[in-house]
Amino acid sequence: AQARMQGGSSGIGYGLKYQARCISDVKADTDYTSFLAGTLSLKEENEVHLLRLSSGGSELICEGLFSHPNEIWDLASCPFDQRIFSTVFSTGESFGAAIWQIPELYGQLNSPQLERVASLDAHVGKINCVLWWPSGRCDKLISMDEQNIFLWSLDCSNKSAEVLSKDSAGMLHSLSGGAWDPHDVNAVAATGESSVQFWDLRTMKYGISVDLLCSQKVNSIERAHVRGVDYNPKREHILITAEDESGIHVWDLRKAKAPVQELPGHTHWTWAVKCNPEYDGLILSAGTDSAVNLWYASASSTNNKAPESPVESTRERVNLLLNSYTDYEDSVYGLAWSSREPWVFASLSYDGRVVIESVKPFLPRL
Amino acid sequence: MATEAAPMDEKAKRMRDLLSSFYTPDPSISTPTSSISTSFDNINGPSFDADQYMDLMIKKSNLDVLLQRHVQMAAEIKNLDTDLQMLVYENYNKFISATDTIKRMKSNIFGMEGNMDQLLHKIMSVQSRSDGVNTSLFEKREHIEKLHRTRNLLRKVQQFIYDLPARLQKCIKSEAYGDAVRFYTGAMPILKVYGDTSFKDCRRASEEAIETIIKNLQTKLFSDSESIQARAEAAVLLKQLDVPVDSLKDKLLEKLEQSLDGLQINPDEASKLAEHNVSSKDEESNNQGPAKIHEDAVRGFSEAMRAYREIFPDSEERLFKLARALTTTHFENMELYIRKRVSAADFLGIFRIIWEDVVLMDEVLPEAALSDLSAEAAQVTLKQFVARTFSHLQQDISDTLLKFDINQKEVVDGEVLKVVLEASGKAEFRQLLDENTGIFVKMNDLLIGWIQKGFQDFFSEKIHAGLILVLAQLSVVIEQKVIPRIAEEITASFSGGNSQAFIPGELCRVFHAASEKLLQHYIDTRTQKISNVLRKRFKTPNWVKHKEPREVHMYVDMLLQQLEEVGKEVKQILPQGTFRKHKRSDSNGSNTTTSSRSTTLHSDKMARSNSQRARSQLFETHLAKLFKQKVEIFTKVEFTQESVVTTTVKLCLKSLQEYVRLQTFNRSGFQQIQLDIQFLKAPLKETVEDEAAIDFLLDEVIVAASERCLDVTPLEPPILDKLIQAKLAKSKEHNNNNNKTTVSS
Repeated sequence: AQARMQGGSSGIGYGLKYQARCISDVKADTDYTSFLAGTLSLKEENEVHLLRLSSGGSELICEGLFSHPNEIWDLASCPFDQRIFSTVFSTGESFGAAIWQIPELYGQLNSPQLERVASLDAHVGKINCVLWWPSGRCDKLISMDEQNIFLWSLDCSNKSAEVLSKDSAGMLHSLSGGAWDPHDVNAVAATGESSVQFWDLRTMKYGISVDLLCSQKVNSIERAHVRGVDYNPKREHILITAEDESGIHVWDLRKAKAPVQELPGHTHWTWAVKCNPEYDGLILSAGTDSAVNLWYASASSTNNKAPESPVESTRERVNLLLNSYTDYEDSVYGLAWSSREPWVFASLSYDGRVVIESVKPFLPRL
Repeated sequence: MATEAAPMDEKAKRMRDLLSSFYTPDPSISTPTSSISTSFDNINGPSFDADQYMDLMIKKSNLDVLLQRHVQMAAEIKNLDTDLQMLVYENYNKFISATDTIKRMKSNIFGMEGNMDQLLHKIMSVQSRSDGVNTSLFEKREHIEKLHRTRNLLRKVQQFIYDLPARLQKCIKSEAYGDAVRFYTGAMPILKVYGDTSFKDCRRASEEAIETIIKNLQTKLFSDSESIQARAEAAVLLKQLDVPVDSLKDKLLEKLEQSLDGLQINPDEASKLAEHNVSSKDEESNNQGPAKIHEDAVRGFSEAMRAYREIFPDSEERLFKLARALTTTHFENMELYIRKRVSAADFLGIFRIIWEDVVLMDEVLPEAALSDLSAEAAQVTLKQFVARTFSHLQQDISDTLLKFDINQKEVVDGEVLKVVLEASGKAEFRQLLDENTGIFVKMNDLLIGWIQKGFQDFFSEKIHAGLILVLAQLSVVIEQKVIPRIAEEITASFSGGNSQAFIPGELCRVFHAASEKLLQHYIDTRTQKISNVLRKRFKTPNWVKHKEPREVHMYVDMLLQQLEEVGKEVKQILPQGTFRKHKRSDSNGSNTTTSSRSTTLHSDKMARSNSQRARSQLFETHLAKLFKQKVEIFTKVEFTQESVVTTTVKLCLKSLQEYVRLQTFNRSGFQQIQLDIQFLKAPLKETVEDEAAIDFLLDEVIVAASERCLDVTPLEPPILDKLIQAKLAKSKEHNNNNNKTTVSS
């Protein structure tokens, strides 16, 4: 256990050995609030840390430490089995994706090895992410590289994964990530450079491609780059995106011509955005300005009409930012809400520091 | 009794004392202390104890003394006895005489009552008689007095009637028709009743005089040379003389309606009017300008309306209609007028004229609610004007931009901005905002809202980074100069507290927020553009299979060019941050030391990364970070050239670092980054004042690259230097040929 309390800040910190980008909530663990974090080191032996928040919430305990063959660019915990997770990794020259299982006897082993359940080895190019359906048991998986999107059927007991279908986004689009709609098992959003495409998994065709940024800017050169996307688990059709320079946008997919709300985002790029799993309107964003911002985009203002007067709208805007956590030394790339204790979130800055914070003191009276 | 007592003085005195002591209340109460103080031998004291006195006497005295005392006492007792007898007698005597007196009084009073009754009765009868006399005389007296008054009055009337013709003639001569009418109407009833009697001649003469007066008045009423007021008076007089005036009224109102045409503001001449209005405000001598004429005309019109209103109270509705019509045509003409391109000053000139007209009319006809009507109309017109100004502004900008496209090679981008800055409403909107006429106070909020909305609409249609900057600066100007000025003027003119509609603090805040947002937007747009350059640069090559660096990559040129553009725009629009500049030249020495320190630090890091112990390297990097002063990368942007440039450069370098972190490099890839960054160092430091931060960020890029590199072997300094010199030489040569070839953007 390497937990330590932070002086001055409310967060609970934990140091990984190397630089890192990925942290994931272990949703299937109903007994403890736990997270998985993977390191990003080109030359050293990378690790996956299983972290658990002590029952008092004052300590972060390392429950397991597993070596991982390559540096980890993406990590996602299986929503229905706490011992299973997926990673996307790179040797520096090539990319790979795999499903792993935490060994059952890891408590007794000195250096426990992760069991590889399956390799998602149909990709050629740079793999971006592996997606699990967030809302329950589903034996399907999605993986994306820059050009293609794959739908897999996963069989954990037989340790195998099969490609069910595959499609290409087209040469013009370079996919960078995505999110699986928690309200619809057949809908997936994939971010391109300046657009979000929506795929129907039944036909494996992307029906609508919402050119998010072109709709708000005329000049096609000055497009922002979409870095992150997340569905609102509490309200259907609501999607949020994080963009390099232009901050955070809230979209209603039924009328996707213009965002329903804009949040200023970060001083530098906004890297990741996450909707709270329980409280509608609570949004967390992480940025390369070494900060995590907590926003409140209330339902009323999400439905909003044009702001009545300029004075009002500025006042409103100020109130949207509930808090800015700035006690980081480097860019923050990893961000995850806890689904067990939805007022708790974990953040991971590039220097390998995990910080768990509670948003309770900043919540508006709902 | 006193006379009796006079010879026996001693005795009488004693007697009186005793009597008085008998009638006074108990002396022991009145003088208690004196009796207590007396000794035992005071035989008259109240506390005298006879036994004790005896004892004392017997003990103290011998027989002789006792005997003597006995004799003395016996004498005293005898004396007292006589006194007592005397007293009793005296008392009795007094009682007897008192009884006698009372008896006598009783007999005297008897019989007086009868006399008194008789007296009262007589007095009553006298009074009733006097009342009777009074009442019988009263009626007659009253009557006499009344008759007397009537006689006096009649005498006066007679005098007045007899004098009337002469008086009327006098009035005609002096044209005092008002008086004449007054006299005549006063005499009228008398003449009517007694006209056939002795007043016959008088009546005829007066009627003749009045005929003349009526004739005179009528000519006056219709003569245009007379003032409207005079004519109105004439109308009033005629009305008093029972001359039918309704036909007159119609005629007059028609005339008034006709005069409306003359009051209209001709759209074609409006600008002249406005000009004169403005100039006549500046030079008071210029009184004969068309504006003045117009003003006089309107003043006359409103006076006429005032007069008519008094003369013909039933004509109010029609007058309202007239005033409304005039106001409406004013605004209609205004709309026609602003269809052409009109400067804000002219617009405001006309606006002021109209407002003054409205105020004039409003004074006369407050019920017509002209100010409400015109406020509404003005709102519409103003809205149109603002919209038009924006379209004109847009037109201007697109014109200049078009020109710019054609002569792209010659015209510097910034010049366009300057044109825009001047044309762009800066003057215009400021003037609009400056306006402190009452109506504007009412509508200031709305106005600002529109302008803001205009800006917003503007944004979505035309994105030009420089323009955003202009708008940002404009907002600052509005916030810092315009609003305080308006506030000042408003407080100056409405000290009463009418200024709730205009809250300068709130507006300042709005504009402040807008300006910050705009500035942020400018920086965002700019950095976004640069980010695109960078993204292309990092996405295109395969960094793991990079070839040995041969020259500084050309994206560096593009980056510097973009930054130069930012610098140019910023220089022309934003003010210099004098303070920072000053500080910089002052502390030149210390600056070089910090930069040298950070370069040594940098080479340290390089040496370590050479040793390839990545684990400890990370640790060391962290350690170094701890000890190095944390550089504030993301400071608040200020409205100065330096701050904006610095912020932009910082954000770009941070983006560069982030792009590097997303890649994996082989040795040559890393060396390429090293070379490019080394080259950037000098020009960036030239453009940015915060050298330490730039050093830090450039180092961070190198560190990021080394972390992401599979085989970190930096270029040898001589090779690095050689490649940089080659690049410098090339760009120098390039600059020489610059007139023909520009770097493709």
